[in-house]
Amino acid sequence: MATLSFRALRKSYDQTLVLHHVDVEVGDGEYLVLVGPSGCGKSTLLRCIAGLEEISAGELWIGDRRVDPLPPRERNVAMVFQSYALYPHMTVRENMGFALRVQKRPAAEIEQAVLEAARMLELEPLLDRYPSQMSGGQRQRVAMGRAIVRRPDVFLFDEPLSNLDASLRHHMRVELKRLHRRLATTIVHVTHDQVEALTLADRILVLNAGVVQQFGSPRELYDRPANTFVAQFIGSPSMNLLPGSGSGGEVRIDGVDGTLPLDRDGAFTLGVRPTDLVVKGEAAAGLAGTVDVVESLGAEALVHIQLGPHAVVAQMPEPTPFSAGDSVRVGVGVVHAFHTDSGLRL
Amino acid sequence: MIVLALTAGAAEITVWHAYRGAEQDALVEAVGAFDAQSPHTVRLVEIPFGAYASKLETAIPRGNGPDLFIASHDNLGKWTTMGLVEPLSVAPEGHLAAALDAVTLQGTVWGQPLAYKSVLMLYDPSRVDHAPTTTDELIAMARAQTVDGRYGLAWEASEPYFHAGLMHAFGARALEPEGGAKLDTPEHAAAMAFSRRLAIDEGIAPAQPTGALIGQLYDEDRVTFVFSGPWFTADRGRAIAAAPLPVVSATGRPMAPYLTVEAVYEVPGAAEGSGELAAFLARGEGARIRSEKGGQAVSDVDITSSDPLLRTLAEQAKSAVPMPSDPDVANAFEALARSLRAVQRGTSTPEQGARDAQVYYDILSRPLPPEADPRPWFALVGLLVVGALGWLGLQLRDAALRARVVAHARDYLWILPAGLSISVLVVLPFVTGAAVSLFAHKGGEWRFVGLANFLDIALARDWPVTSPLSFVFTLGVTLLWTSANVALHVSLGMALALLLREPWVRLRGVWRALLIVPWAVPNYITALIWKGLFHAQFGAVNALLGLVLFRGGPVELDWFASFSTAFCANLVTNTWLGFPFMMVVTLGALQAIPRELEEAAEVDGAGRWFAFRHVTWPMLKPALLPAVVLGSVWTFNMFNVIYLVSGGEPNSSTEILISEAYRWAFSRGNRYGYAAAYAVMIFGVLLVYSRTANRLVGEKVI
Repeated sequence: MATLSFRALRKSYDQTLVLHHVDVEVGDGEYLVLVGPSGCGKSTLLRCIAGLEEISAGELWIGDRRVDPLPPRERNVAMVFQSYALYPHMTVRENMGFALRVQKRPAAEIEQAVLEAARMLELEPLLDRYPSQMSGGQRQRVAMGRAIVRRPDVFLFDEPLSNLDASLRHHMRVELKRLHRRLATTIVHVTHDQVEALTLADRILVLNAGVVQQFGSPRELYDRPANTFVAQFIGSPSMNLLPGSGSGGEVRIDGVDGTLPLDRDGAFTLGVRPTDLVVKGEAAAGLAGTVDVVESLGAEALVHIQLGPHAVVAQMPEPTPFSAGDSVRVGVGVVHAFHTDSGLRL
Repeated sequence: MIVLALTAGAAEITVWHAYRGAEQDALVEAVGAFDAQSPHTVRLVEIPFGAYASKLETAIPRGNGPDLFIASHDNLGKWTTMGLVEPLSVAPEGHLAAALDAVTLQGTVWGQPLAYKSVLMLYDPSRVDHAPTTTDELIAMARAQTVDGRYGLAWEASEPYFHAGLMHAFGARALEPEGGAKLDTPEHAAAMAFSRRLAIDEGIAPAQPTGALIGQLYDEDRVTFVFSGPWFTADRGRAIAAAPLPVVSATGRPMAPYLTVEAVYEVPGAAEGSGELAAFLARGEGARIRSEKGGQAVSDVDITSSDPLLRTLAEQAKSAVPMPSDPDVANAFEALARSLRAVQRGTSTPEQGARDAQVYYDILSRPLPPEADPRPWFALVGLLVVGALGWLGLQLRDAALRARVVAHARDYLWILPAGLSISVLVVLPFVTGAAVSLFAHKGGEWRFVGLANFLDIALARDWPVTSPLSFVFTLGVTLLWTSANVALHVSLGMALALLLREPWVRLRGVWRALLIVPWAVPNYITALIWKGLFHAQFGAVNALLGLVLFRGGPVELDWFASFSTAFCANLVTNTWLGFPFMMVVTLGALQAIPRELEEAAEVDGAGRWFAFRHVTWPMLKPALLPAVVLGSVWTFNMFNVIYLVSGGEPNSSTEILISEAYRWAFSRGNRYGYAAAYAVMIFGVLLVYSRTANRLVGEKVI
């Protein structure tokens, strides 16, 4: 158990910079989720922690040890790979005991540790199977078990749930949460799924194109996104962004009839989450638009509205009075304002 | 009608020969001259040299042969016993006595001598103005010439053919007139001792030269005197002069080389006029054309050539000894060659060499096993055939099976071509080989001996088990050879494959291509190159050792003088040939192993060796095992490397089973049956090995 800190970390391949200046402190026992679109560098960062990639500049500390000059085996981290990377010629028992066998621990101790982890993950009946004789979910749990047996300083999870089907993924998410509470070990978890990030993380690090976009708790990210990228990436459906310009307590949107009563002067990007859009009848005040499509999710509906040249999505409870083709007026609740050019929060 | 009348009294005479170039042109002209004055017509057929002897031996007994054929006399003994030749219908006269001697067997003259060859003394006229007439003079002159990396004298001292001059000068001979060989004589010992003195002790000659090496040395102006034949003068890059071989000072007798005679022979039932044609070609007009146009040393005593080389040959022929045409001479040569090599290397004294030669000759010429009664074998084969037919008949009584066979009649047609090829290319040779192993063969004589060959081999009846000639000894060497090779191939191939995956290796594709090159080059070429690299005096291996160990000091390690070094030389050569295959197989197998498994092991704390041992290796093993089985079978039968690099030296101790089988078939008296029995036993060993290996692989025991 230990803290994890990145100090001015950089990573480049030949001339290409893939991670710019990562400078982040992760507390002991914290659950950190690295999230971002594919190719953003999140897996590279994870592999840098494991020691499978060398960093090009900066430092990496686990607890009070500087680990970036150390080979993987001396870092005391455990990794769960996306493909699980189970040793196909070993049984579950041998897979889980491998790291302890490397350390030449006594057989009885290894057996004890394996059984304990197996009990935690309900793997006891599977201990003598080979990976090829198990389902995807079972293999995933074996990979987890192999990591747990180690009792490492830091767990590294590389998209551990992405190969599972939706219901199993949800189940495992809960399991992971429970496991973290029980082990109280620092975890770094890489995913491209923002739901996973929001539900699991103590803190989230959002990466895009190798640059840290925001680092904070799920609440902070959701309530106060640092820029339009985070605003759109976190939350589902995505935040609606509209080009606005305000003067004298009114805000207009380019190419849209009607105004919004907001107190902001000059051009800016207006951000509104779908839940914060208020859709009313034709006679009301607000921005004029037409309903394009209505998607019903059972308890709620997603109403796609065309506002002049802009498409927005509103989320509201079912039953909704609107149907495709209706003319509507749109108002707003909580709004976010971003700089038009830089996209930074104003 | 006129044509018919003409042909009635005239015959067509077919003549086979293997001449090329100027000799062929001269023969055509000589035949033309005969045609012009004779009613008969002559058809000349050129047969490639490599296939000549076997073609004669198969075609003539079946009546498909020629009327006359031209060949060297050294196989005459075999051909007379096989009945391939007839005594001449026109007696030869006016020929050199030694040439006539050569074609005379048991008082009968069998061929019209055409031309002769022998070893003589060749020298560089730009270095010395005259040739020495005695060996003392030769040694003195050669010593003066041996300076600055030059050699005074070079000849293939351990080849009995080239040793014959000294052997005869000391009063020794390969075969006794009444048959058999007496090699354990003081004369043989003295000849070997003098040969060693000339080739080694005087320090005037290069070690173990081959004909090609001597030619190269001569062209580079690095040798002055050469004992060789007229063929050596062809295509030389420098002027060359010839003289008769010198008188051996110790005995006062001239060195007397072997005389080989090209003659024309009559085949039984030869066409009318064949005898006249043969006589015409051998003497007078025919001989003159061949001498002038073909540059042949003709045996006609009335023809004196103006060519100095031919005049020297004629002079040398006066002291030359006809090459024995008894097939037994091959055994005497093989025995002598072995002892000559041992004496030259200093691993044997001349006296011991002479004794060993006799022992080895007795082994090679030992009598055939007693004839066995073939009747039980006929009964056995008959029983098997009847049994097989009976079984087939029983099966065919099943109507359902019959119906199935009829229904699939066309399918059998489809597999017919493949079935036929396999029968002809695999089954038939195998059955023939197995059948041959029940016979014994010596000098054209076949005898049914049953299992005697197998018993002789398995029980080492003719020599002790510890002799390099015994099956058990050779099997031991073969197993050592195979396991050492496979271990090296796998470890080296795998190490290189793993190395090629390392991220810091640049130009990976280039390295991979380069490392496969040893595999792509035909292995006999590689073997010959390595043989050269291991040469004691001119080899790069010794030069490199000298550079590394003695800062450029000379190393003249004779790699083929002891078992361990000769075995090492073979091993190095075959490892060079064998590792690329294992590397390619490993590279392929590695592709199937996800990189993440090794990364997982690394993160789990495993060092590189532990990760390899417990993660990579267990996954490589299933892919490598079939390659190991295949590689070990190839190595077990790797004839080319053994034959071309060590050649079994020293004393056949580095032979493996397959090369030993070859020796018995082709260089130790044509014991085909014995060799076939070897082959059957090799087949048995490999069958058991591959069955066992496959079962172990299948059961995942290893």
